[in-house]
Parts: sequence; C-alpha cells; structure tokens
Amino acid sequence: MGPLIPNGIITGNWDFVIALLLGIAFGFILEASGFSSSRNIAGVFYGYNFVVLRVFFTAVIVAMVGFLYFDYFGWLDLDKIFILPTYLGPMIVGSVIMGFGFVLGGFCPGTSYTAIAIGKMDALLFTVGLFVGIFIFSEAFPLFEDFYYSGYLGNVTLSDVTGIPAAWFAFAFTVIALASFWITMLIEKRVRKNIKEYKF
Amino acid sequence: MHVHELNPRKTLVTVIIFVLIIIVGFLTLKKPRFKYKLSLEQTVELAHDYEAGFHPFELADVLGKKTNNVVFIDIRDRFSYGQGHIPGAENISAYDLSEPKNIKHLKELQDKEMTVVLYGNDQLQANGPWMWFRQVGFDNVKILLGGYEYYAAHKDALEQTVEDISYLRGEPRYDFAEVAKSVGSVDNTQKVANKKPVVVRRKKKPKVASGGC
Amino acid sequence: MNRNYFFLTVLMLVLAAGTFFLNREPEYEQIKPEKLLYDIIQPTRYVTTDQVARFIIDKDPTLELVDVRSAASYDHFSLNNAINIPFDSLLSPNYQDYFGIPGTKVVFYSNDDILADQAWVITRRMGINETYVMKGGLNCWIETIIQPKEPPEDAPYTAFELYQFRKGAQMYFTGAKVDNSVVKKKKVAVRRKKKQKVAAGGC
Repeated sequence: MGPLIPNGIITGNWDFVIALLLGIAFGFILEASGFSSSRNIAGVFYGYNFVVLRVFFTAVIVAMVGFLYFDYFGWLDLDKIFILPTYLGPMIVGSVIMGFGFVLGGFCPGTSYTAIAIGKMDALLFTVGLFVGIFIFSEAFPLFEDFYYSGYLGNVTLSDVTGIPAAWFAFAFTVIALASFWITMLIEKRVRKNIKEYKF
Repeated sequence: MHVHELNPRKTLVTVIIFVLIIIVGFLTLKKPRFKYKLSLEQTVELAHDYEAGFHPFELADVLGKKTNNVVFIDIRDRFSYGQGHIPGAENISAYDLSEPKNIKHLKELQDKEMTVVLYGNDQLQANGPWMWFRQVGFDNVKILLGGYEYYAAHKDALEQTVEDISYLRGEPRYDFAEVAKSVGSVDNTQKVANKKPVVVRRKKKPKVASGGC
Repeated sequence: MNRNYFFLTVLMLVLAAGTFFLNREPEYEQIKPEKLLYDIIQPTRYVTTDQVARFIIDKDPTLELVDVRSAASYDHFSLNNAINIPFDSLLSPNYQDYFGIPGTKVVFYSNDDILADQAWVITRRMGINETYVMKGGLNCWIETIIQPKEPPEDAPYTAFELYQFRKGAQMYFTGAKVDNSVVKKKKVAVRRKKKQKVAAGGC
C-alpha cells in the first residue's frame, strides 16, 4: 500500500497538506513532552533530566520496529521510502555544532518554535539568532562548499553499507535504548538529590 | 516533575495500541496465492530448457493412447476451441487461467504427476502463460512447439514431423545481413512501374503453416 | 521502581526480537505473480514490424530497440540504433540502466518473437514498464519490410496502402536505388500514411 505518493495512491500535490498535519503533530508532541522548556532540554547535558534522550530514543525504536512490521504486512514498502543522502564528514561536524547550540541555547530549532508558541522570551531571542546564523551560513557558503559536499555516500541505510539485516539494527538499537532508559533513571536520581529546588 | 515520569500509564496505553496495530497486521495478513518458485536467474535458464517443449511428433503417442499421463490445455477462447482442437484437450482460456478452480485442477494434475501441455494458436500465444506456470512452481507444465496451427496442418502425419524442424522457433530463416544488402543493390524501379510482385526468396520449406512469421 | 517499566521494557524487547522472524523481500524488486499473469495475457505488448519501421523512419526519440540475440548475431546484422542485450545477460547490472527510463519504450526483438517474448516476461516480472515485443522478429522484418510482397489484385485498399508504405520503408532501410520520380512518390506515400492507421498485416 504505502508509501502513498510513490505508489500513486495520492498525487504529489498532497505534500503540503501532509507536511502541515505532520508539523502540527510534531509540535504537539514536542510541547507535550516538555520540550518547550530549555531546562528540560539542557538537562540532558547536566544529568538531571534525560527526557530528550528518552523521547527521541522511543521515537527511533518504535519507528524502526514498527516499519519492519509494516513492511512485512505489506502496508509500507521500505524499498520505496525516501532516504536522506549521507555526507559523512559534514554530518559529523554538523551534529557537533548542533550539540553545542543545544547546550548553549537550550533549544533545537524545532523546540524553539514550540517555546515561542507558549510565549517564552528566551526562545524568541534564540530564533532571531537562528536566522542570523542562517544568513551568515548562506553568505559564507562558498568558503566551505567543497567540504559541504564531501564524503557523499548516496541514499544509503546502515544495512546497505554493512550488509547486516535491518532486524539486527532494530534489535541492537532497542537494547541500547532500553538500557539507556534504566541507566539515565539512576543518574537522574543521584543528581537530583543535590538540587534543592527543581521546577519546570 | 514531568507527569509521565512517575506515572507510565499513558505510555503503557500507547504501547498497547502499538501492539494492537501489529496484531491487527498479523490477523489481516493474507497468504499470497502464488509465490515465485523460480528465481529470475532460473527463469532466464528456462529459455534453454529443451525438455520443456512438447514436440508435435510426441503427440502421436498421446493420441494413439500409448501414453496417458499427458493432459492438453487449450488456452484459446471458447470459440476457437469449438472450431477445432486437439482431441481430448481441455479448454481453459488464458483469461481464466488463474481462477481458483482451474488452479486447483492444475494442482491436482501436478500431484498425480501428469504432464500438462499448454497450447495456443501459435507457440507465442502460450509462451507467456507457460513461463508463468513454471515460475510459480508448476514444473510439470510444458508448451506445445509450433502451437495449434502446426498441429492442424500436420495432424494426419504427425509421426513424419520428426524430420521436420520448421516448427522450431528462434532460428534465423535468412542471412539477414545478406538479404538486406542484396535488395539494396537491385534497381527495382522497373518492378514497381510494372507492378510485378517482388520475388520473395524463402530459404526454408514453404509448406510451413505457422502463420507467415 | 514502577513495575510498569519492567513490563514496557520486556514488551519492547519482544517486539524488537520479533523482527528477526520477518523475512524481508528478495533482492530484486518483483511484481506480484497475479499481476504478471494479468499482463502476460494482454496482447498489448506486441508491436508489428511496420510500426517499428515507422518509429525508425520517424526517428522517434522515445524508441529503444533491444536486440536479445547473441553478440555475434548482433554484430552480423541489427536494426538501426538497436542496442545488444544478450538474453543471458538480461539480469546483468551493466544493462539495468537501459530499462525503466521514463517516456522510453523498449522494443525487444530476436530472430523470431519467442526469445523476445521471454525477455519481456522477465523484465515485466522485474517491474519494468513500457516494454514491447516486435512480433515475428527479424524473420518477419525481412518478409515484410525488406522483401514486401505485393497484395493480390482483389485485396482491400488498406493492403495496398500498407504495401506502399513497406516499399517506401524498404528503400529507406536498404537504400535501393530508384529514379527520382519514384522516390518522390514513395516519400509522399510514407508521409501520408503517418496520419492514418495502418492495418497490421502479416505477422
């Protein structure tokens, strides 16, 4: 059956409608998970709150395992879904920069908008900075254009690169995720003892 | 403190919904009716499988009741079948081949180790269905070489067709390069002007009734 | 610690372990057998030698002629601009780029039509669309295009039209030398035929 657009069940013109619906759902989940508070988000770096890790790991393992089942049921053809192209070096550098932004600013781009939606002033400043950053990046793009496009591996998945079946990755990720849930729970407990007042 | 952290009930409900969706998936999972038993590589090799062709001269034994483990299936439509068919042949039109009752019938024939020979008007008509049956695991299905047309033209002297190779397909009937060139050098203005028929040089026996080409 | 967390952990582990038992699709993309049979019994995949001749004469840019005979036969004789994909190399990755180009019609031909038809079945199973089979193959090509036969006196008008076209095509492909007036006449015949549907004859 799926994916709907590549299989011609609906036309590509539905792109924007679907994007809008998914965006609303995504924003709702971010807010409901408490991501509109930068304390929650930055907490992962200080060890008193690992909700970011939990939410995203949960999303990853549910989607991974779920898609493998959906593929088996014939609901979603995993060979036809879009896979973001991999540029290995630039992606590593980019995620390090993103991590710094995360811990410094207390938001990621998506959560800053949900925080604006509930009226947070720091988030407003964050998004101003975000656009300034985008502007600088665009203007300076020719300087690192070569690096930006280096390390291209194509639209590959981990199983394409390693030849290991997707089920192994799904299982490994699930074990890692579940283990990290338990470990971070213990860390949280220990760290929070030393915090007198803790409010969101 | 976030509400979920002390009370995972909501998470539990969500996960149960997730599990339910997967259970629904398993329940609605339909077993496919047909599965490819031959890989694509094996299907390519099928073209070289000379055993899979049923020669017209072998028909003589069947019609003479010397062998009785062969069933003919006429995949033409009812009308053509009514106009003439190989004696004892069953008529299953190509359009009805995948109907459950016909597939069941073919399965029974396979279990009884009967050979099934498909034929159409010419070999080409039965070629696709024959390949399809072989691909989905009916390895007892063969194809009648030459098709019905060749049989109809030779039905009184089937034994003698052992010597005849004109029904075998895939061979060039001409030296293409030679023929294409030789015409080029002929000045055929005269012929066109006089409306004389162009001489066609047939290299193989002209008695072949396999419909021109 | 809440007991529910243990339950959740175990449940998720079981679900993830369950994915080991789901066998993924084979390496090639394939259409369902039911769909393959449905396509096989449609006669729409056949094109006549006359249609192919017309495509070549019109220099149709969407035409991709594929010769499935051996490389030696291909070198000896092939149709204009045909590419050679020997039948046994049909699955070779080197040739896959020739298939599935949007807006391109692939026409298979061989000495006659059986091998080309088999190539069609295999590529169709691989999910490749817009593939056709030249009915009659090169044998028919010689009989209809290179050496067309004049229809008998009492044949219908369309048969003569077709014959006219074939004579024109014959000249195109063999470069038969004829005086100018006849060539002119032939060309007119070919062009006029474009607008009308040619009755498929012979093969």
